[in-house]
Amino acid sequence: MAIADIRTQFTADLASVCTDADQKALRDQYLGRKGGAVAGLMKALGAASPDQRPALGQQINELKQHIETTLDQRLASLSSARRPAGAVDVTLPGRVPAIGRLHPLTQLRSRIEAVFARQGYEILDGPETEDDWHNFEALNMPPEHPARDMQDTLYLSGPWDRPARPVGAVRGGGPSGPRVSGADVPHPATLLRTHTSSMQIRYMESHEPPVRVIAPGRVYRRDNLDLTHTPMFQQVEGLVVGEGVTMADLKGTIIGFLRELFVPDIPVVFRPSFFPYTEPSADVFIGCQRCKGAGCSMCKRTGFIEVLGCGMVHPAVFEAVGYDATHVTGFAFGVGIERLALLMHGVEDIRLFYENDLRFLEQFPL
Amino acid sequence: MKVLVSWLRELVDVPVTPEVLANDLHMAGFEVASVDPQPPSQPPDAVIDFEITANRPDCLSMIGLAREVATKYGTTLRAPRGADLGPADASRLDPLTVTIENPTGCPRYCAAIADVTVGPSPAWLVDRLTAAGIRSISNIVDITNYVLLELGHPLHAFDLDTLAGSALHIRSARAGETLTTLDGQKRALLPEMLVIADRDRAQALAGIMGGGHSEVSAATTTIAIESAWFEPTSIRKTSKRLGLSTEASHRFERGADVAAAGEALARACGLIEQIGGGTVRRGWIDACASVPAPRVVRLAYARVGAVLGADVHVDDIRRILTGLGFVLAGEAVDHTLASVPSWRVDVSRDVDLIEEVARHYGYDRLPATFPALAQVPPRPDARLEQDGELRRLATAAGFSECVTFSFISEKSAREFAPADELVAITNPLSELFAVLRPSLLPGLVDAVAHNRRHGQRDVRLFELGTRFLRGTGESRTLSLAWSGAATSEHWSGRARPADLFDLVGVVDVLGRAMGLTLQVQASVRPWLTPGRTAEVHAVDAGGGARLLGVAGHVQASLTTARDIPAHDDVLVAELDLNAVSDLVTMLGVASAHPLPRFPSIVRDLSILVDESLLAAQVRGTIQAAAPVTLVRVAVFDRYQGKGIVEGKVSVSYRLTFQALDRTLTDAEADAAMATIVDALTKAHGAVRR
Repeated sequence: MAIADIRTQFTADLASVCTDADQKALRDQYLGRKGGAVAGLMKALGAASPDQRPALGQQINELKQHIETTLDQRLASLSSARRPAGAVDVTLPGRVPAIGRLHPLTQLRSRIEAVFARQGYEILDGPETEDDWHNFEALNMPPEHPARDMQDTLYLSGPWDRPARPVGAVRGGGPSGPRVSGADVPHPATLLRTHTSSMQIRYMESHEPPVRVIAPGRVYRRDNLDLTHTPMFQQVEGLVVGEGVTMADLKGTIIGFLRELFVPDIPVVFRPSFFPYTEPSADVFIGCQRCKGAGCSMCKRTGFIEVLGCGMVHPAVFEAVGYDATHVTGFAFGVGIERLALLMHGVEDIRLFYENDLRFLEQFPL
Repeated sequence: MKVLVSWLRELVDVPVTPEVLANDLHMAGFEVASVDPQPPSQPPDAVIDFEITANRPDCLSMIGLAREVATKYGTTLRAPRGADLGPADASRLDPLTVTIENPTGCPRYCAAIADVTVGPSPAWLVDRLTAAGIRSISNIVDITNYVLLELGHPLHAFDLDTLAGSALHIRSARAGETLTTLDGQKRALLPEMLVIADRDRAQALAGIMGGGHSEVSAATTTIAIESAWFEPTSIRKTSKRLGLSTEASHRFERGADVAAAGEALARACGLIEQIGGGTVRRGWIDACASVPAPRVVRLAYARVGAVLGADVHVDDIRRILTGLGFVLAGEAVDHTLASVPSWRVDVSRDVDLIEEVARHYGYDRLPATFPALAQVPPRPDARLEQDGELRRLATAAGFSECVTFSFISEKSAREFAPADELVAITNPLSELFAVLRPSLLPGLVDAVAHNRRHGQRDVRLFELGTRFLRGTGESRTLSLAWSGAATSEHWSGRARPADLFDLVGVVDVLGRAMGLTLQVQASVRPWLTPGRTAEVHAVDAGGGARLLGVAGHVQASLTTARDIPAHDDVLVAELDLNAVSDLVTMLGVASAHPLPRFPSIVRDLSILVDESLLAAQVRGTIQAAAPVTLVRVAVFDRYQGKGIVEGKVSVSYRLTFQALDRTLTDAEADAAMATIVDALTKAHGAVRR
């Protein structure tokens, strides 16, 4: 066989080398001392004419070196592909530690709390069962006030003298120290609070201004369960009281809050409204994030969605808690966490938040 | 309030299209529910439906909204003109007499008489009522409704010939009295309800609805028209009590305009003559027990800026208030005295005036600023901070957070708490929400069941919230539920099902995070499986144990009733955070100790004891007998079966000895072990293996 043919044949044979044994067999076939192809060529070299011999010898040597080098490379690549002892398939799934998730409403509530905590607001906790004074009367809603219809109330069977649950950290001494007002007389609980404003009353009853608090928590209304209503939901209400607090401050606070929660360029619109405990009062709308203001089913084709209510604290509320309404002004706002959650996450059925289906809960961040 | 714009144009110039008008009034506080275009006309027409807030009964009328329009655009208001009725008498207009017997409920009652021909209304009248959503009935009834819409003042027409004694008495209903109202309902009246009666009996429910007997019919020839003012609270109570709300009651209970009673009467009489419905007799009755003088409110101009945070010019303030009908007296530079028009029942303080200014000045023109921070912000309520930490730990332990309703069915509540501890809701909307939850567990077990039904076998849930017990009130509670595997599913082997010790371990972590020392002991709860129920106690400063909560297997009867398969255990724990709030040191500052400098000695000890002997007892004996150098006791094996006598159990302990001041010798450890084994043998008959 000619040298060139052997070289071609070797290249073809090399392609089928998969194991060390294949490699060894091939080496024997070409480089074996007896019967190897190269050995055959060397034998034939003796028969060649002396003037051809040096050139032919050089070609044979080159072929031999080529085969050796190529086989060595193949051997190296075969051994590097071999799995070392104890090797595992690292692409198999790992053992995932069980990590639970916070409820989306808690996640959103924490975000809201963080925004206000950063602005120096104290975060309050307070009772969910309330008396008429803290839920209605002190908020400028005397008995038979038509505004009571706005919030259909759930009442408790038999007043309940539950142990007090203090609202707000007790501060020592000084102008903002704890105070005791006539309204501190305990009232038995007769209803489920319809808003967390009741905590604001409790806080003002026990603290002198300035006040800067938010009151998050569960509230209750006599509403049927449907796509957008539940008899229980969560609110965050805010209250700022002090000298020189204005409606412009309210606007800045709300706009800043909504921009941080949604997007920095979100349109925010204030429209006059009515709440018994604020005067002037406002409803706040944001530009619909789904249609970007063009009008869609979510915003009822208006381009805007109502997200919260707010206003300047009514002087009657200050009088009820013993604040001097001629010296201090204040603003208050209230936002429904579920409502914001529906908008932010594009959820269309509020009941999903209460079914606690892990397939739903696991759609929210760890 | 549905407003036909072409009707509004009769009362005020509207220099804009209906769409612009709707938007402008929307931004002035009158929420627009809808704008329905009308057939093409010049200028364009539409029906705008406004949601009127409860404080603005004056705008439940065309004239009220026209006043807003006039103020908004600086155009002129044209009040409709009524008939000249001549002089008024306090009680008599032959043959009618009016007697106010309850002046508190009815401070003013006006009436006139007309001889009429009852028939259909002209087309324009029918069209306007229809646009406002009111059905045409007859010319006379339509006119009363027209004036109600135009001026916001409800009227009522009686068939005068049906009134016994031609008399109208405004009085409280008599005990046992009944009245069949215009809607055909026979209603039992109560003494706190105000009625309009003739000589013999009630003929109308004051301010709410007329009676069938004195109703204007096709046969009516003479009518008495009532234009009165009723006390709002009384109307509201009666309306609620009877579940009867009408256009009239809606206005009276929010507050009608007491001064408008005569004007509305004159307007109705003028319209009757205008449409050829009849002739109005000269003279009218104005029985007026008392009409309050207009309120005067002092407004310091500086206060406008102080509340709004905007520099509103005095001229703007005066223009807006005057436009809305306030009469401004006093020419002082720093304040004005505003007489409140009788229709503005919502205005009694300076802030009410400031709101009017702000509405028409435009909320959008107010600047956006931030309140100054006057003091160091306090930390959040410690309870909320602890809640956050506990949530973090619970999720780290694999539990996902639930939010379940705070009220549950009475049946569920009774399964998890004694009946006398339950707080019920008087007016629940559903049986499912009838009782405040005495425990978070019913909601959690329901959530486990929901997930189980939807194909999730391995469920770990927790909730942190309030439970309500009559004895202890509201308490912050952390509850956990665990069903399915203790480990995540993996290809390398079968998952081990969770057992009580998995859950007790999590409770232990939560307890330690709160800085509590916990003790666990066997107990019984009706909703938990006997023999698999533990009470968890926190040790207080005096060494006493305080009940923190329970952990255990939920009774199979409760889980199977919720469609959870019988072979699926549901483990639960419920911790009352209020019970230990004074012991919690979470979020406090930890003090650190140096690490031990000398090596420790570890010894294993296997003993054979009765299987009924509690692990806690053995541990107690070991700790009592051991020297202070015993720093750790761990159980590392527990074995029953081959090679162990029936009724006995082999338990293996790993004991760690360590001294802070020296290296312990083997001899010391041997001596300690001998003492411990001796004590175990004496106390429990333990045999060392």
